[in-house]
Amino acid sequence: MIINVDSPVLEIHDLTVSYDQSPVLWNVDLSLPPGKLIGILGPNGAGKSTLIKAIMSLVPVTGGYVKIFDRELNDVRSRISYVPQRESVDWNFPASVLDVVMMGTYGKIGLFRRPGKKEKKIAMDCLEKVGMQSFVDRQISELSGGQQQRVFIARALAQEADLYLMDEPFAGVDMATETAIFQLLQEMTAAGKTVIVVHHDIHSAMNYFDWIIMLNLHLVASGPKSEVVTEELLRKTYGGKLNLLTKVTDIIRQKDFNPLKN
Amino acid sequence: MSFDQNAFLIIFTASLISISCGLLGVFMMLRKMSMTGDAISHAVLPGIVIGFFVSGSQRGLEVIIGAGILGILATLIINWLKNKAKVQLDASIGITFTLLFAIGIILINMLAYKVDLDQECVLYGEIAYLPIDLWITDAGFSMGPRITYLAVLNLLLVAAFIFLLYKELTLTSFDENFGLVIGLPAGAINLALMSMVSYTTVSSFEAVGAILVVALLVVPPATAFLWTKKLTSLIKLTCGLGIFIAIAGYYMAYLVDSSIAGMMVAVGGVVFLGSALFKSIKPNSIFGTSTSIKPLEN
Repeated sequence: MIINVDSPVLEIHDLTVSYDQSPVLWNVDLSLPPGKLIGILGPNGAGKSTLIKAIMSLVPVTGGYVKIFDRELNDVRSRISYVPQRESVDWNFPASVLDVVMMGTYGKIGLFRRPGKKEKKIAMDCLEKVGMQSFVDRQISELSGGQQQRVFIARALAQEADLYLMDEPFAGVDMATETAIFQLLQEMTAAGKTVIVVHHDIHSAMNYFDWIIMLNLHLVASGPKSEVVTEELLRKTYGGKLNLLTKVTDIIRQKDFNPLKN
Repeated sequence: MSFDQNAFLIIFTASLISISCGLLGVFMMLRKMSMTGDAISHAVLPGIVIGFFVSGSQRGLEVIIGAGILGILATLIINWLKNKAKVQLDASIGITFTLLFAIGIILINMLAYKVDLDQECVLYGEIAYLPIDLWITDAGFSMGPRITYLAVLNLLLVAAFIFLLYKELTLTSFDENFGLVIGLPAGAINLALMSMVSYTTVSSFEAVGAILVVALLVVPPATAFLWTKKLTSLIKLTCGLGIFIAIAGYYMAYLVDSSIAGMMVAVGGVVFLGSALFKSIKPNSIFGTSTSIKPLEN
């Protein structure tokens, strides 16, 4: 089930991505509304991260196109923010927490110029939002996994964008932090920003997202949570993984939420 | 001990070269590209020979341009082999620089009667001849050692390059994809860094030789990284180590009457091994960081 919207913030048309001849995303075609907290769900290897990377032109696209704010990516880079997977960088890099968060402002500073007081203030505000203000001067090699993740989110916030793409921002994050960050994301969407999150925990996805994209090489579903979370679509997304499916039905039962009633 | 002008010139020039190499080496190390620096320093040989052949002298601008082009070419070939032909990075480095270096040696032998260049000069260099290799102006006026001027110019350009692009170099070294996303020309910055490494290699090879340039690119940054986790301290410590290596290397070589460049690298290696040994015994001693290591509160 794929629900399309008028005047979308992000429009993907017939997108196909392949690595070494073998496609990892087939004909993905969807459009997303502004001001929503959007979750991308799917099993491992479903192409969730690839979809985010294709939107940001970080992987070559075999077919189709992506339009953001009805424009080409290069025209709207300053309005898009990106949180890569935490493992994609070497945290042994000699930089402080403040240094990394300030990197979010570099796109707006331009070549050859140095960040100044204004950029430092933005970075401090963003660190406060993720509750890391007391770690400003700490070296990033001395942080725990959850703290590294919060630093990355603060860096994305420092970009002051309208569209946020986050690749597994909750991997290795404890429950308290996860709740706090989800609250922050909900505040952002309430302020009109659009946040797209690659997520693997179906349980918390049900609690927080407004709009859900289900992906398994093909696009299985894209639409408001109440309409797309059905046992049939979850089964289609997660395939024959029976263990997982029982877990899903358990969760649905526990939450006293039966989509089949809808 | 009286002031020895020759000793001062040699140490001064060697320090300049170590600092230039160290500054670039810090970023090469952070990009996990130290071995690419090694590859470039060898791969520039055909460029040097062709430049030498075209200009007829090793002082020509053509030599530097030729080496620069070959350095970039080596980087492009390595990247192409790694990304498109799916050859492992270490293998693609090994294939690329040995091939280009071999072409350089063949060219030297073919043009041997036309160019005053041999591979020993390129590979080993000899900084001890520096005080007698003078820059004589057209009016016949001696301006002092030619290589010292080259080293000063090289350091000025390297320092300006790193000062201007400090923000971009740091960001793309830490997280290249993020740099691309916010619209930084990450590929161009990478190639610019490789060109600076090529230029530094050429500028320094007469003094310390291509092999020893590699050591100066790798060893001081790697040693400094054992001691600090802060980028500005890392750069300062690398420069300090470069100067120390130049001074200690010169006097040790003087003592045992041996190669100065060789002794410089030997001193660097010993300092590195000492540091690594010390850190393996006392892993928590660190300086240059702004915070002490203590248990995190959450």
